[in-house]
Amino acid sequence: MHSLTPERRRVDPEPRTEAAADPVTHRRGRGDRRPGLPWILPALIVSVGLLYYCIGYTGFISTLDWDGASPEQTGVGAENFVHMAQDPVFWGAIWHTVVFFVLTFSIQVGLGMAFACLLHSRVHLRTFYKVLIFIPVVLATATTAPAFRQIFAPDGALNGVLSALGLGGLTQAWLANGTTALLIVIFVQVWQSTGVVFVLYYAAIGQIEPEIIEAARLDGAGDLRIIRSLVWPGVRGTTIAIAILSAIGSLKTFDIPYLITQGGPSYATEFLGTQIYRVSVALSQVGYGAALSIVLLVLAITTAIIINAGGRRGGRTDV
Amino acid sequence: MFETRRLRSRIVLQIVLTLLVVPFAFPLVAMVQGSLAGSGWANYTTVLSLPQLPRFFVNSAIVAAGVILIVLACTMTAAFGFSKLSIRGKEIYFWMLLAALTLPEVVLLAPLFATITQIGAYNTLWAVILPLAALQIPFTVLLARNFVDGIPDPLLEAARIDGANTVRTFWHLLLPLTRPIMAAVVVLVFINSWNNFLLPLLFLQTPDQQTVTLVPQFFVGQYNNDQTKVLAAAVLTGLPVVIAYTCLQRFFERGLAAGALK
Amino acid sequence: MGVALAALATFALSGCSGSGSAGDGGSATEGNITWWSWTPDNDLAQREIDAFNQQYPNIKVTYKKVPNADYTAVLRPALASNDGPDVFTVAAGGRAGAVQTFAPYAYDLGPSMEQLLGANWRSKVYGAGADAFTVKGRVVAAQFAKVGAGILWINKEMFDRFHLSPPTTLADWVRVCQTFRSNGLGCLREGVGGAGFDIDTLHSIANSVEPGYWADALAGKRKWNDPTMVESLRIFGEFTRNGILDEGAVGIQQYPDVNNDFLSGKVPMVQMGTWYSQYTTVNSLTTALAGAGVPASTPKVTIVPVPFPDVAGKGNPNTLFADPDAAQAVNAKSPHRNAATTFALWLGGTPQGQQVLADNLDSFPTLNSIQPKWDGIQLVNPSVQRPELEKVTAALQNSSEPRTLGMNAVLQQAVNDADQGVVSGQKSPEAAAAAIQTAADANR
Repeated sequence: MHSLTPERRRVDPEPRTEAAADPVTHRRGRGDRRPGLPWILPALIVSVGLLYYCIGYTGFISTLDWDGASPEQTGVGAENFVHMAQDPVFWGAIWHTVVFFVLTFSIQVGLGMAFACLLHSRVHLRTFYKVLIFIPVVLATATTAPAFRQIFAPDGALNGVLSALGLGGLTQAWLANGTTALLIVIFVQVWQSTGVVFVLYYAAIGQIEPEIIEAARLDGAGDLRIIRSLVWPGVRGTTIAIAILSAIGSLKTFDIPYLITQGGPSYATEFLGTQIYRVSVALSQVGYGAALSIVLLVLAITTAIIINAGGRRGGRTDV
Repeated sequence: MFETRRLRSRIVLQIVLTLLVVPFAFPLVAMVQGSLAGSGWANYTTVLSLPQLPRFFVNSAIVAAGVILIVLACTMTAAFGFSKLSIRGKEIYFWMLLAALTLPEVVLLAPLFATITQIGAYNTLWAVILPLAALQIPFTVLLARNFVDGIPDPLLEAARIDGANTVRTFWHLLLPLTRPIMAAVVVLVFINSWNNFLLPLLFLQTPDQQTVTLVPQFFVGQYNNDQTKVLAAAVLTGLPVVIAYTCLQRFFERGLAAGALK
Repeated sequence: MGVALAALATFALSGCSGSGSAGDGGSATEGNITWWSWTPDNDLAQREIDAFNQQYPNIKVTYKKVPNADYTAVLRPALASNDGPDVFTVAAGGRAGAVQTFAPYAYDLGPSMEQLLGANWRSKVYGAGADAFTVKGRVVAAQFAKVGAGILWINKEMFDRFHLSPPTTLADWVRVCQTFRSNGLGCLREGVGGAGFDIDTLHSIANSVEPGYWADALAGKRKWNDPTMVESLRIFGEFTRNGILDEGAVGIQQYPDVNNDFLSGKVPMVQMGTWYSQYTTVNSLTTALAGAGVPASTPKVTIVPVPFPDVAGKGNPNTLFADPDAAQAVNAKSPHRNAATTFALWLGGTPQGQQVLADNLDSFPTLNSIQPKWDGIQLVNPSVQRPELEKVTAALQNSSEPRTLGMNAVLQQAVNDADQGVVSGQKSPEAAAAAIQTAADANR
């Protein structure tokens, strides 16, 4: 049935050959011009509504000196933010986040690509490896953290393995040293998230047409050359997306440092997330915690915009 | 991807793959070993004989189901809207949604606590379901929109020509086509809802409301952390998710591949 | 018309009392109530509840144990809602359940205390506790436990094996540790930072340097960057270098790591307080060993309390310092307020309640004249342990030196940080002490 509502004819600036002009609207072109606002409302109400309300509330609290429970709330304006600028723990957390992001991103991408390429080849037991790499993703950190604390304890599994391999000189109290503690946090994150990166790369590589690879091979290109020049540029969009998610994830990091190192020793593994929790809950300085949260939000949005813009300039479609 | 014509290269690849995978398997093995220390399998029987345990699994399942339903409904409608329909200021709304991706759960605690107690949702599953859904939607919409972008417009145009209105197009045409991405969304949301710890910890107080991620707590005393039972509880909590993933792995892969960020 | 109005008024009033507020509080001897706390452990709590039910069989108490680290976070939304616990335990200060934070939610127990123990009830209980839990004139909680620290616990079998006696000076301690280490064992194991037990260690050292300084600092009469504190931090920092403290201290936790290691017989000595006495009993030690993940056939260690050595070498006597540990508060919104009050006052205010508590050995009673009944308690090694336990218990009863009373969460964190700094060698004692003072100054 044709709609009998007369609608204005629109001139389509980009004539497309596939879509025939709609006989009623005489429109061509991308997308259906029917109004879509009601369709995105549920998602907006649930997500944007709830979360932005929380953001607004947090913004309000950040101007207070409040312990979260008592009816007394003293307004202190921007004092929380001034305190933050002078807080060495805060700056340390920022630094750790940067180091964390750079290392986790590069290692995950490296491992993810390696696994994706390897598992696109004809090796045995492919499903077994795929599942094994992804299991850490599905396990909650709350359940794996005790195991990791045991592994890295002075008398734990790692030191045991090192001694058994004759490398007893390398054994140490891994969690007691600030640098190694941070590396442990990074290791656990990589363990937990490489599965996701792998699945994304695996899917993206699967999209590359085999003919291109075959052609390159016939031309005499070796495996590594093919990966470097054909595969890697071909999955650029995925890499950008992973970079954004990884950056945001690094800023949000909480579970792993909280459960394994408690942000220590001496704040060597403190991240913004753990600092917010410690300040708000243990020290009852909810106002300062809220101020930290606002800064975290701003940083995350800025980072996402920067990475996305950087990716676009490289000539790929946006996320 | 790699040349596998010669036997030697196949062996090398297999070895490299196995070596790379060892660090992934090692903690899993340690976890199971730790859960069997001390009393051995008795740890598992102790955890399983917690009277509240079945109820916890039920609650976790309810939370997961609730979150999945809400997220699916919001995600698919939003993906359809963003991708195929006209909206003024569409990209602004989209970026508002994405900006919410940056929110860590910790930040929500203070405002949620104030709101939830005021509206009387404390100690109900809603206190967990709604915030979790809100947190997942930005990412799932991102994935789903990409996927729906890949559905050729002529398909939908054809439906319009046949006179279908928007709702029917959505229900009868779009949804069946989006099964792979829906599967991916279901798996991701299930994992995140099942494993969530912080919200149940703070807002679910009585055993008839609590979820399975709070089980290790029963074995954390003030002076005696019963690590063996904590690990046994951890293994038991993780098992359903591992099994679910192993079974649904193919669909998940296909869904991500189709909705993949190319 | 008048009758109708009166009926309406009655209707309205009865409607009001049902919602939100606690109404008349229900019966004092019947009801189902919930009790939340971070202490004691489930088995000890069950003993206490069973004893309570012998006197009040119709009040059913459900205990919910919340981990120490989460207690404050979990309690806040609970008390703000209408579904909170009827009875909740509070502490005199610190990071978990501080009474100051939760006082607004608690029901004034003053009148009930007077009813139970008479108008002069304050003279019948531990004075510091009665004061600590009275906030702005309201008796916010009924205390039931006192704990102390200032001692070390040793593994007697290990000391005997190498013919060593507990050290009394720093030089002694270094020698003892050398013997242990040359035989492949550790010496003093401690988790520095986080949970806060290193505060007690630092306190003992400070007492050895200058008795009375810590109490003055707590009261604000002396500064935290005083030379006494600097010297104490220096001595603590030296523990790593002179072989007393096991390496990796800043990376392990007192609970569960050190606790499990010591109780399963792997470590010769730890710094813990009087609450550790519970592990001299067969029951508690058995439970602890099961939790430590060791086979059931592991031999049960004989742990013995010994005084903290005179590390400063000035001949100052070792003293035990003690604080009110915990008290029961009643939720003002509870619909079972009266039954909750009965239970809240029972544990700390009646001889029966206090006796059960005393016999559990993890806390010391706050009601004067109650002592553990040693004959009825099954110790692992009575001939060795009982005399020492009786000494410590007597010292605890007479102790009037505060432990951390008045130290809020921020200050405790600052001392933890200082300890971690000197033990790991990253901070000089002067810098560490200065940082504590800065935190104390910034604090309102």
